[in-house]
Order: sequence, then C-alpha cells, then structure tokens
Amino acid sequence: MSKEKTPRILKIGILRFDPHDPEDVPHMETFEIEESDGMTLYIVLNEIREHHDNSLKFDFVCRAGICGSCSMLVNGRPTLACRTLTSKLDENITLAPLPLFELIGDLSIYTGKWMRNLNEHLETWIHDKENELEVDKLEEKMEPELADEIYELDRCVECGCCVAGCGTIQMRPEFVGAVGLNKIARYHLDPRDKRTNAEYYELIGDEDGVFGCMTLLGCEDVCPKDLPLQSKIAYLRRMMIKTSMKNN
Amino acid sequence: MKVIYTDVLIIGGGLAGLRVATGVKERGHDAVVLTLVPPKRSHSSAAQGGMQASLANSHMGEGDNEDVHFSDTIKGSDWGADQEVARMFTHCAPKAIRELAHWGVPWSRVQRGDRKAIINAESVTITEKDEAHGLITARDFGGTKKWRTCYTSDGTGHSMLYAMDNKAHEDKIDIHERLEAISLIHEKGRCYGAVARNLMNGELVAYVSKATTIATGGYGRIYSVSTNAIICQGMGQALALESGVATLGNMEAIQFHPTAIVPVGILTTEGCRGDGGLLLDKDGYRFMPDYEPDKKELASRDVVSRRMTEHMRKGKGVKSKYGDHLWLDITILGREHIEKNLREVKEICENFLGIDPAVDWIPVRPTQHYSMGGIRTKYTGESQTLKGLYSCGEAACWDMHGFNRLGGNSVSETVVAGMLVAEYISDFLDSSDSNLEIHTSKIESFVKKEQDKLDALLSKENGEDAYILRRRMEEIMMDKVGIFRNETDLKEAVDELQELLKRSKNIEVFRSKSRAANPALVNAYRTQRMIKVALTCALGAYLRKESRGAHSREDFPKRDDENWLKRTITSWPDENQTMPSVSYEEINISTMEMPPGFRGYGKDLTKHHPMTKVRQDSVDAVVEKLKAEGKDRFEIQDALMPFMDKLPKKYRGINARLGENI
Amino acid sequence: MKQKKIDKTPARLDFTQSVTGLILAIFISAHILFESSILISNEAMYKVTIMFEGYYFFGETYPGIITFFAAAISVIFVVHAAIAVRKFPNNYKQHKVMREHVLRMKHEDTSLWIIQITTGFIMFFIGSVHLYIMMAEPSNIGPFASSFRVVHEHMGPLYFLLLLSVVSHAFIGLYRLAMKWGFMEGKNTKVSRARFKFLMKTMIVIYIIVGSLSLAQYTYIGLTHDFSEVKKYKSKIIDLRAH
Ligand SMILES: Cc1cc2nc3c(=O)[nH]c(=O)nc-3n(C[C@H](O)[C@H](O)[C@H](O)COP(=O)(O)OP(=O)(O)OC[C@H]3O[C@@H](n4cnc5c(N)ncnc54)[C@H](O)[C@@H]3O)c2cc1C
Ligand code: HEM
Ligand code: SF4
Ligand code: SF4
Ligand code: FES
Repeated sequence: MSKEKTPRILKIGILRFDPHDPEDVPHMETFEIEESDGMTLYIVLNEIREHHDNSLKFDFVCRAGICGSCSMLVNGRPTLACRTLTSKLDENITLAPLPLFELIGDLSIYTGKWMRNLNEHLETWIHDKENELEVDKLEEKMEPELADEIYELDRCVECGCCVAGCGTIQMRPEFVGAVGLNKIARYHLDPRDKRTNAEYYELIGDEDGVFGCMTLLGCEDVCPKDLPLQSKIAYLRRMMIKTSMKNN
Repeated sequence: MKVIYTDVLIIGGGLAGLRVATGVKERGHDAVVLTLVPPKRSHSSAAQGGMQASLANSHMGEGDNEDVHFSDTIKGSDWGADQEVARMFTHCAPKAIRELAHWGVPWSRVQRGDRKAIINAESVTITEKDEAHGLITARDFGGTKKWRTCYTSDGTGHSMLYAMDNKAHEDKIDIHERLEAISLIHEKGRCYGAVARNLMNGELVAYVSKATTIATGGYGRIYSVSTNAIICQGMGQALALESGVATLGNMEAIQFHPTAIVPVGILTTEGCRGDGGLLLDKDGYRFMPDYEPDKKELASRDVVSRRMTEHMRKGKGVKSKYGDHLWLDITILGREHIEKNLREVKEICENFLGIDPAVDWIPVRPTQHYSMGGIRTKYTGESQTLKGLYSCGEAACWDMHGFNRLGGNSVSETVVAGMLVAEYISDFLDSSDSNLEIHTSKIESFVKKEQDKLDALLSKENGEDAYILRRRMEEIMMDKVGIFRNETDLKEAVDELQELLKRSKNIEVFRSKSRAANPALVNAYRTQRMIKVALTCALGAYLRKESRGAHSREDFPKRDDENWLKRTITSWPDENQTMPSVSYEEINISTMEMPPGFRGYGKDLTKHHPMTKVRQDSVDAVVEKLKAEGKDRFEIQDALMPFMDKLPKKYRGINARLGENI
Repeated sequence: MKQKKIDKTPARLDFTQSVTGLILAIFISAHILFESSILISNEAMYKVTIMFEGYYFFGETYPGIITFFAAAISVIFVVHAAIAVRKFPNNYKQHKVMREHVLRMKHEDTSLWIIQITTGFIMFFIGSVHLYIMMAEPSNIGPFASSFRVVHEHMGPLYFLLLLSVVSHAFIGLYRLAMKWGFMEGKNTKVSRARFKFLMKTMIVIYIIVGSLSLAQYTYIGLTHDFSEVKKYKSKIIDLRAH
C-alpha cells in the first residue's frame, strides 16, 4: 500500500486593496488552503472566495490559459494564474495585481482599457485602401510559411505580463512595451497591410517606441505565450535604423 | 440616472456581437457594445479547431460546395434545424471567411505538393494542387463529408476575434467594457435597450436604443463541468426570459464534447481527432470502430460522446479518483505536427496535466460544451415576439444547428449571422418603425426596479447562500440532465430546480456589502437567473419524449418525427411563476429541401412522419425533372426551397471556387 | 510614392550609443590584454608600450600618439556616456519604481542592466580620472612607471574597481548589443541567447582574473622595485635615444 501523503497547507498572501472604499489601504492578507491534486491558482482563488472571503476580486474567463485575463504577480513574477499549478510553487505564495494597470480591486486590473489605447495608438489593423473587399471572389493567396509566421506573432493574448515584466515601461509609462512592438512586427510582416516603413517609423521610431527599449528582456522571459519578443524587437530596430538611413 | 442613447445596443463583444457592430456601423448607424470583459477575452477566443466554410481549396475538400455543407449541417442537426437558415448560412460562410482574411486573419494555407497525414490510424500522402497553393486550407472535423474546417493553427477563434476587435477599433466603435446588461427595457412588445451595471463601480446605466442585440454566447456554466469560459452563464438568455415577452428555443439541446480533459474540463480540440488522433479505453483498445465502423472517431459529436459513455458503462473506462475516463492518443501524429498544429493542446496538457501529449495519452471524457438552444429568432435574428430585440451567435436559436451542431459551424455561425443580422437591423433602422417611443419615466422605472433588486440582495438577513444554491443547480444539471436522460432523473431535476428557484428569491449577500465591484453581489443575482435558465433546459428535456441529436432519452431512444419534429419554446410571462411556460413550434416538412432521413449512425430507429415520404417524392421528382432539363445545381436548389430573396442584396452573389465561377 | 519626413534623431542616438559602446568594448578588451603583457615579463610590457608609441613604425617613440589615442577614446567615452545617461532613471520616482521592480522580479537580465547602470556611473568618475592621466602624462607608461602609479600614487584600488566595472560593463554591454540587434541570432533564439550569455559570463571571469593578476604584478613590482634608482624601465635589447 502506498502511503497517502498528507496534503500541504498553502499560505496564500494576497495584496488587497479596494479603491472604492475610502478607508481601505493596500495590505497583505493571508489565507490558508489545503492543497489538492492538480490544484491551480484558479482553484485556490475560487476556494478562498467561496469559503473564506467572498469579496475577493480577481479575473478569470477561460481558466485554460487562452484568454489572458488572469495575469498577476505570483511571487513577484507576472504570469497567468489559471494555469499555474500550486505543486510547482513553494507553500508560501504571494499574489499581487500587475503594476502599472488601473486597479479595479485586489487582483483585478483594467488591462482592457490599456490595451485598447495601445491598439488605437498603433492602429493595429490592416491598412489597405487599394484593394476593395470582394466577398464573392477567391481570397488573396499567401505563402503558407508566411501565414504561420504571422500567426506566431498574432498569438499574443494581451495579458500584460510583458508590460509588468519590463523595467523600462515601469519607469517610463509612455513606452509602448513589447506587446506594442510585437504588434507592429506582426503587421509589418503582413503583406495585406500596406503601410510604408516610414509610416511605421512615425509610430515607433522614437524613445517611446523601439528606441526606448533597453533590452532588459523581462518581456521575453515572462511572456506566457513564448512569443519571440527579443528577436522581433531586434528586427524592428534594424528595420527602423535602415528606414532612417534611407529616408531623406 | 445616467442614460446613453444609441442606434444599436449590442450586448456581447464576442465574434457575433462585434460583427454586428461593424456591420451596422458600415451602414451608418451608431453602435455601443457592452461586454463583461474586454472583447478579445470573450469566449470566442477559445475556439481552437476551426471554422467551416466550403472553399474546397485543399485536396480533401475537392468537390465541396454549399450543397454538401448544407446537407452535413441538416443531418448533423438531426433535422431539427431551420433549413432556410441553414441555406443562408452555408451560402454566406465562404463570404465571411474571405472577409476575415481581408481583415487580417492569417488562416493556415495550402502548401502545394505532397504531405503526410494520418487518416484512420494510417499514414497517407496527400497531394495538393499547384493552383491551390497559398489559398486557405482545411482540416477534417466530425460529421462532415469533406475536409471543410478552415483554421489558423489551433488558434482559430483567437485570430478571428483579434481581427474582428481590431476592425472594431478601426471603425471607432464604442465598446463599454465590464458593463453587464441586467434587464431589457421594453414596452408594448417593443424593446428599447437595456439597463446595465458597471462592474467596476456599481453604477447603473440605462442604454436606450432603437435596436438591441443579444450576443452573449452560451449557458454552459449551468453545468458543474463545462468546457466553456466561466462567464458563459446564460445571462443573455436570462435577459430575454425575464422580459416576459421574448422566447427561448430548444433550451434542452445541449452538446457534450467528447474530449475534455479530466478533471478540469478544459477542451482539447476536435482537431486532435480530425488530424488522426484515436480514442482508447483502459486496455489501450481502439473501440470506436466497433460502434461506428464508418466514421469511427469522427462521427458527429453527440454520437461519439454517447458511444464513449456507453463504453465506460461497460466497465471499459479508466478508473480515477475523479471518476472514469478514456484516453485520447495523439502520439501517432508526431511531435512536429503537435508542436505546429496542436500547440494549444500541448500547452494545456503541459500546464494542467503535467504531461507531454507527444509521448503520453490524454485523459478525456465527454463534457458539456455547446448550447444549441437560445433566444428564438426569425431568420432576420429578430425575436419572434419582442420587436426591436435581435440575437445572434451562440446566444440565439436562429436555428441552423437543430439538436446538434457540427464542430466548426459555430464560429462560422457567429460571423455569418453577425453580418446578416447587421443588415436586417440596418434595414429596420432605416424604416420609420424604428422610432424611439418611450417615455423617460418608463426608463427610470426599469432602472429603479433593478436598483431595488440589488438593494434587497444587500440588505437581506438570514437568507440563502448563493454559492450553495448554485453548486446544487450545477450538480443537478450534470447528474440528471446529462448525456443520457430519463424520466425519473429529469422529473427530479425539474422539481428540485423549482425548489432552488423559490429559495433563490431569498438570497442574501453575506459580509461583502460594497455597491461597487463586488463579486459576491454579482454571484447572487446571476445565480437567481441561472436557475431560471437551468429550469427551461431541464423542463424542455423532461417534456421531449424522444431522442434527437444531443438530446438522448434512454426511455425514448427513437427519434419521433411524428410527434416531436418541433421546437420547444419557453418563456416566463409572469415574474411570480416558478416554472417557465412551454409551447411548441412545428417544423414544416412540406417546405423542406431535405426531408427527414436517416443520419447514418447505428440502427435507424426513426419514427417517420407521414409527410416525410410525400415531400421526399416531390423533391425527387423535381430534381429528376430539372436535371433532365439540364438545370444547374443553383436552379434546382431554388426550385426546391428558394432562399435568396431573404438574403440582403450584397450577399446574394455566387461564391467563386477553384474551377467554379471564377 | 511621396516619402514622409521622419525625425531621425532617435535612430541616430540609439545607433551611436551602440557603436560607441562597441568601440569602447573592443578597445577595453584589447587594452586589458596588452596590460597583461606584464605577466609575461617587463620586457614584453615595455615592447607593447613602445609599440603604441610608434617605435616599430618610426624607429623612435612618440608618447603623443598615446595622448591622441586617449583623447579619441575619451571623446568616444564622453559621447557614449552622454547618450547612455538618458537611460538612467532621471528622478527619484523612477529610481524607486525600478528598484522595486528589480527586487520583485528577480530577473537576471534586468539585474544585469542595473549592474551596467551602476558600473557606468562608477566609470563616469574613475574612468575620467584614468583617461585624464593617460592624456596628461603619456610618457609615464611602462613597467616601472605604471607600477609606481599603482603603488605610490595609490591608483591600485581605483584601478581594481575600474577593472571590475569596465569588464562587467563591457561584456554585459556586448551581450546586450547582440540581443538588441539580433546579432548572429540562431533559428532558436532561446538557444543562441543562452550561448551568448554563457560567453559573456565566461569572458567576464577570464578578464577579471587576467586583469587582477596584471594588477597584482604591477603592485608586486611597485613594492619591490627601487624607484630611487631607476624610474623608467630600460630595455636590455632596445636602446631608445633620449628625447
Ligand atoms: C473550448 C471551446 C472550443 C470551441 N471550439 C470551436 C471550434 O473549433 N469551432 C467552432 O465553430 N466553435 C467552437 N466553439 C464554440 C464557439 O467558440 C462559440 O460558440 C462562439 O465563439 C460563441 O461566440 P459568441 O460571439 O456567440 O459569444 P462569446 O464569444 O461567448 O461572447 C459573449 C460575449 O457576451 C458578453 N456578455 C455576456 N453576458 C453579458 C451581459 N449580461 N452583459 C454584457 N455582455 C455580456 C461577454 O462579455 C462576451 O463578450 C468552441 C467553444 C468552446 C467552449
Ligand atoms: C562614463 C562611462 C560610461 C557610462 C556612464 C556608460 C553607461 C552606459 C549605459 C547606461 C548603458 C546602457 C544603455 C542602454 O541600456 O541602452 C551602456 C551601454 C553600453 N556600454 Fe557603457 N557606459 C560608460 C562607459 C563604457 C565603456 C568604457 C565601455 C566599454 C568598455 C562601454 C560599453 C558599453 C556597451 C558595449 C554598451 C551596450 C550598448 C548599447 O546598449 O547600445 N561603456 N553604457
Ligand atoms: S506579448 Fe506575451 S506577455 Fe505581452 S501581452 Fe502578449 S502574450 Fe502577454
Ligand atoms: S526588452 Fe526589455 S525594455 Fe525592451 S520591451 Fe522587453 S522588457 Fe521592455
Ligand atoms: S483565465 Fe484565461 S488565461 Fe487565465
């Protein structure tokens, strides 16, 4: 007979704050939870909410590591909580909301607004005034590898981990961050987007753009989708330098 | 009181909602989109497998067209679908996918020349045509004659939703995030918008609009284990239900997906089996060919789910402390294929199971997945009973899925319905019918009513704990309204749910009393609504004494066209009712292009309707005659069941394919 | 198509920062190796010195060449520092945010950047002093003269600190350059990055060892040599005419 191991008691420290409560100040609160098999932070947090404190605020949507809603600092590092197994962590776990984003309460942050501003600013959509859409005609062809490459960058889930993991943007919030640069790299790669290099330069050819990046690579190391951020930022940097040299 | 006026209010920022928004905007109308979460986090993003559209680019899709897609869809629905709607859908799906390609979805492409694929556990070589190189490719999915499911690696929904949301940015559509619609504003059978609650600061806002669209997705979360996102709680269906006027259709039609991982219920896409993955039992034995020698693992979802359950009931399941399960084996596809085309699956296996699917088998079992039922609409997407209220996407029962939807037909529905409904709404807005004729005091009374309800929840004492009620409801649905259903269980389910409903009127929000962001309050009012939705589902299932598609009664194993070729319609006319009102909508055989037949799984147990034969004969006669006259497939189709005139003019064009209409 | 007018300054600054950094790093790697010739023998170090003074080209030495080199490096140094200083946290708030971030994240590359900032800051002072001396007294370089400076003019500790700073700064800088521009990026960027990182760490260790040994040797000479007799090293083979 195999011995049943007694489950660990996890001590979950959560940085709590309700900005709508004038009397509240940011403070740590610790909950003790008995660990179970295959337990993720999604299960932990719901258990806390259901059995310990029903006012605890956090965001999950897909709970499958797909939608990017549940990013938070787990022991100081930004990551997706729903797919973080407790078995991979120490029994003392601290959770805090991602910095920089507007706080809704406890672990819940308003990434949506931030990302929307970013997308609007960088105009992250296909710019094509030349080709009218004709829904009855065959679609435009695209090299299979190119389609794969575009998708590779399109996989970003706007979770904001790279933003929270980037020292540069912490100091200088005007910086577009890896998420923004990656989006530009994605559209630059896409032949359907007819923007010129000079137009891209206008968007990211300054200290708030690619030249602001100090290559700290926090972004690359925390991105839950393993996007090739370092490589793409380097690519954009080369391209922007070339553009600046060609353009008179 | 904060009031926001707009032409079109769209509740839901998933694929369906966003497509309506861009559509009406293009026609020059204002739109506001309300959503619980940033649109890009809507559940549409979780669709991994693909979108069906009969492009026929890839070798295995050659010969595909609207007709084949239509026939697959109708068979899949077990003849429960509205055939005109299904025709409109299959006609427009290629247009929708091409539109999305134009807006930035990369779509995986055809690579000319030879490639290896796994079909029926054997490696075969497929040769793609030169002229197809670079066009959108497709994979195999359950229940389809041709390889028709177009995809972007395994992030189809994600790439579609991102393209749609970016398009919405381009079109400068107002998107109000974390705003939850909690009741419809309506008067004299006409809908004028909705009251919404800001989930960040608790403020109630009245959105007053000429047309209102519910595109809030499904209601999977009334079950305790579901592949759905946790926000798929059926709040859109509840909105319609609580209006007392709008109706719901076929709420008992619930799809179970064969392969969700155990225990958490996260989906591994049908693409796993489509690409050649196998189902194995505790002995590592491939059992599906014994049950379905023809389609095997790729039979329709409802069929595979039932076969798996049957097989586990025979004691062939793998025992685990979370109950029995079976294995999904994709190791035969090879690491390279998995890492390229099934990467999301790989990530899920690594992160939630700690296994490597290129080496290990995946523990799976059938799990609640899709809601065929929803807000009953006309083909225009408008509610049959509440004017000015529209619905589309998974939230609606537009009814192209009947009692079982095919994999890949759902994201396809969202964008097709979205683009069509946007046109019908715009037509409505362009007519004088759409004038706003509601008094402010009426709007105020709707807001006040919601405010009072919230206050009551917060001030109640010695009440019920919402979590307890909700967990119980979820269990009942899981245990008694599951894959196989029977009279006893369903009766118990209905009774107990009714009891829960009564208790839910007495819910108290313990401790957490904030009026702003307050998850306990949210859970309280949603639980009340979810129980109502669960009741419509359980009651519909209890009353339907036949088996059709995903609705499978052990005590009535036959499909009964004579008595049950009809849709269950539920509504809640009086707030104080503790059970929904039920009526039925006949499905007319005499206008069908494809009269009811045998789906081709197991034995044909159907109790046919006398009308079926009559209609079949007349269809056959027409086809034969027109064929002899040398008419083409469009003319023949038109003679059988004309639908073109129902489509907006801009979408009537004939689709080009390689070798057809280029 | 009409080209838009774009502001090129940010591109130029970024590029210049990297180019100056690269030149300085190459210079420093060579510099420390030349210095370490003292480990072979006094004669070797002497030969290297006079080589830089032009002996092998002109048959006599011109310390002015050293002045020129030092001046050129100084200019590059100043340009580099001036551009790089933009990246420093420029107020207390930024400093604090960054500090918290670093402590929280415990992320290697971010911490490396902090090392770069700190060492850059240190070099700002010590490096300037060093460069100034080299420009001012170019002829006082050689086995004995340098040793004298190390021991009796108390430059030793300063040089050691400078060594640590400059070596770590330079190789972290080179690693960062590779990442920043995607230099020699492999198909799998994670692997190529890991390789570069390993290379960086190895080079730092090697250079610090070599540099420290040279410094120790200068100190040894400085302590044992009798400077009252011979201030300047005289080669036994090469006879320089006095100037
Ligand atoms: C795991 C998984 C995989 C799938 N894979 C496939 C596939 O491969 N192919 C396929 O065809 N289909 C697939 N489906 C089904 C398909 O993804 C969905 O049916 C479809 O995306 C639904 O889209 P929708 O726009 O109708 O709703 P959703 O995308 O669910 O969007 C609903 C929106 O409504 C909002 N909302 C909800 N309630 C309210 C409220 N009260 N107030 C305001 N806003 C509200 C939400 O915020 C959200 O924005 C899959 C489903 C699941 C669960
Ligand atoms: C006063 C002296 C110096 C200061 C203040 C300084 C400062 C800095 C700073 C802050 C950076 C980082 C810039 C960024 O993150 O983008 C940097 C980069 C770098 N430094 Fe220095 N530095 C100095 C001297 C040197 C010297 C002497 C060398 C060579 C040995 C050198 C080599 C480099 C290199 C190679 C880089 C990377 C270049 C880049 O990121 O583009 N630096 N320096
Ligand atoms: S780049 Fe990666 S870390 Fe950044 S938002 Fe996208 S997915 Fe998240
Ligand atoms: S490389 Fe560093 S500075 Fe650049 S975006 Fe990534 S984390 Fe930020
Ligand atoms: S909840 Fe969707 S990624 Fe975690």
